[in-house]
Amino acid sequence: MSDLRSRRTFVRGAGAVAGGALLAGGLPSLRLRADAAETIKVGFISPRSGPLAGFGEGDPYVLELVRKTLGKGLTVGGKTYAVEILDRDTQSDPARASTLAKDLINGSGIDVMLTTSTPETVNPVSDACEAAGVPCVGTIVPWEAWYFGRGAKPGQPSPYKWTYCFSFGVKQFFDQFVPEWHGIETNKKVAVLYPNDADGNAIRAHLIPDLQKAGYTVIDPGGYEDGTSDFSAQIARFKAEKCEIFNTFPLPPDFATFWRQATQQGYTKMVKIAQIAKTGLFPSGVESLGSLGDRLLSGFYWHKEFPYKSTLTGVTPHELADGYEHATGKQWQQQLGASMSLFDVGFAALKSSADPKKKADVAKALSTLKTQSMVGKVDFTSGPVPNVSPTILVSTQWIKAKPGSKFAYDNVIVNNVTDPKVPVNAKIVPYNS
Amino acid sequence: MTPAAAVTVHRWNRASIVTMTALGLLVLVLAFGPAIFGATLTDRMTTLFAYVILAAMWNALAGYAGLVSVGQQAFFGLGAYAAVKLSHGGVEVYLALVLAPLIVGVLSLPLSSFALRLRGGEFAIGMWVFAELMHLLVNLDGLVQGETGTSLIALSSFGPDARRAFNYWVALAVMLALVAAVFFLLRSRTGAAIQAIRDSEEAAASIGVRVMATKRLIFVLAATGCAAAGAITLSTLTTFQPKTYFSVQWTAYMIFMTLVGGLGTFEGPIVGAVIFFIVETVFGAQGVWYLIGLGAAALLFSLFLPRGIWGVLTDRFGIALLPVGYRLRFADATKRTES
Repeated sequence: MSDLRSRRTFVRGAGAVAGGALLAGGLPSLRLRADAAETIKVGFISPRSGPLAGFGEGDPYVLELVRKTLGKGLTVGGKTYAVEILDRDTQSDPARASTLAKDLINGSGIDVMLTTSTPETVNPVSDACEAAGVPCVGTIVPWEAWYFGRGAKPGQPSPYKWTYCFSFGVKQFFDQFVPEWHGIETNKKVAVLYPNDADGNAIRAHLIPDLQKAGYTVIDPGGYEDGTSDFSAQIARFKAEKCEIFNTFPLPPDFATFWRQATQQGYTKMVKIAQIAKTGLFPSGVESLGSLGDRLLSGFYWHKEFPYKSTLTGVTPHELADGYEHATGKQWQQQLGASMSLFDVGFAALKSSADPKKKADVAKALSTLKTQSMVGKVDFTSGPVPNVSPTILVSTQWIKAKPGSKFAYDNVIVNNVTDPKVPVNAKIVPYNS
Repeated sequence: MTPAAAVTVHRWNRASIVTMTALGLLVLVLAFGPAIFGATLTDRMTTLFAYVILAAMWNALAGYAGLVSVGQQAFFGLGAYAAVKLSHGGVEVYLALVLAPLIVGVLSLPLSSFALRLRGGEFAIGMWVFAELMHLLVNLDGLVQGETGTSLIALSSFGPDARRAFNYWVALAVMLALVAAVFFLLRSRTGAAIQAIRDSEEAAASIGVRVMATKRLIFVLAATGCAAAGAITLSTLTTFQPKTYFSVQWTAYMIFMTLVGGLGTFEGPIVGAVIFFIVETVFGAQGVWYLIGLGAAALLFSLFLPRGIWGVLTDRFGIALLPVGYRLRFADATKRTES
């Protein structure tokens, strides 16, 4: 009796479980076939929650502008297509980024993928697209970490057929440093704090020799692991050597840790130039440092003083920054322009393709794409490596906002060596003076 | 009492025969998965197979050998890393995915001598420390470049469909092999020893069970299994970033699956893996709330249903679908007991 009943219970239970699994996995694929004909589907993957949430903060606003522009559809070769943008949040998790990418590719049948912000997002999404043969454009990931960090080898042909990246790289950082540092008199001793990751190692290999050639003495205590919580040894070394210039390429939380410890241990008061990169990107992060954030120098990949309009939406930098502040009450931030530029580039590729519904055509259009975008020129035909177009970085300084401002800090451009068209609107000020 | 002659010892009963046949058929159907399922489902099923492996391995450790580890991500990460390393060294990529866990298994042998000296909480934390250490060592490899990581680029030589199908078959085959290994281990003489150790290590030792050797066997099996799950996950994700693979979240998932499914039962972890897989698919987009929900569920299960879903079902209905244990059947067929 009992055996019979248990068997039935099991079968019923197993049926429910299997049914659930089938439903869960199968539903998205049913949904996609319904309206595939004349709609171009665009995937957009970015981190909007978790440790990288600062990057995705402005994405809902940018998406709103883009969707408004594309409400009438997109005309390619005389034919008008409806456009659907499927935006997803990675929760700052690379494994989730990959799963989301595969769901958009297989489940929703997207025609092109757009993705932005950090190797943790762009690399797994690009890998998923490369694997599935879906054209993909990524941005805001140092291009070396995107190209070499996914297994490509220097000097060998590009292993990527479907994925492209336009972003600043290590070279853009060091292009700006030397001219910028000349603006302030120092003892020319540079303390460098570079982590043991692709960016840290690339900058160590390329920037340090360049700095030495330019007459600087470089004090490098060696690579630390991302997530280090005690920097006493490095700080003691920098203090002993009296380094008046400080440069780092950390993950943002590591910089906050370092800078607080360096202040407690009396290093920061001898610093004249605090040049940070990859961090100090967003007002929220600098505000969280309190008064320690004042006069930090950071590289910006977009600024509201950039002279370039969005080619897709026609929005100007000031309209974008002011519109965002008006809509959200938050201070403008550089990812707004970068996310917008991603749509500029993605849709430029769709428009120049022979058939935007054919993935091979879109990938071909990408391979020869030359276009303007909100971050400036993007050209995939002449990069330092295939599939890559470097974009500009400008040196900026965080300055305490004028009395009466809604926000704690202003960000001003102090150097434009990588693109003279960007206006310089302030003179560099020493960190301690 | 019933006279001794009226009691018979059974491994198999009707339910377990039916289940084994059904499972055989299910495996047969699953083998044709890539042809039947769509792309999404094939891909997701590959992930499910990795989850089943993880749950079964953690259960073998904690549920049977009494070894609660919070550092199994060490082997998960090493499995993926070994696959990247082998493939980079010129080994054919799918061969690398299969060889990697075996290499990690061999490496876990010397580790077991140190790790198994630790008891209870010490072992748990010791394994975590080991996982962090492995993470840092892997970061030092120039191929991986710290947290930036690298990708299993050799997979690009296969087209999307072929690659999806291969990933699926490798995962299915490895999962079946490992689950079968646990199954036959539990049915064997060692299985009885393992369950004796689970119930009381001292008592088992006192009646002549070779505690250390038995624990070591489970430890190495679990290390190999977790490494296999890591390699399978790498084959579906392609991207190897050390932080992702050496994250303690993998062990948290293992604990969730095992606790919810039923610790110390053979079927429980498999049920737990399927539940976790469904929950993740449905609620994964909720972000932080999803993780809070997972934690809360694991907590509630350990407080109120410590034997998990499968444990409750077995207690309520006396189900034993898989012939792992021995059962006594009395002549009147109403009383039964299990060992």
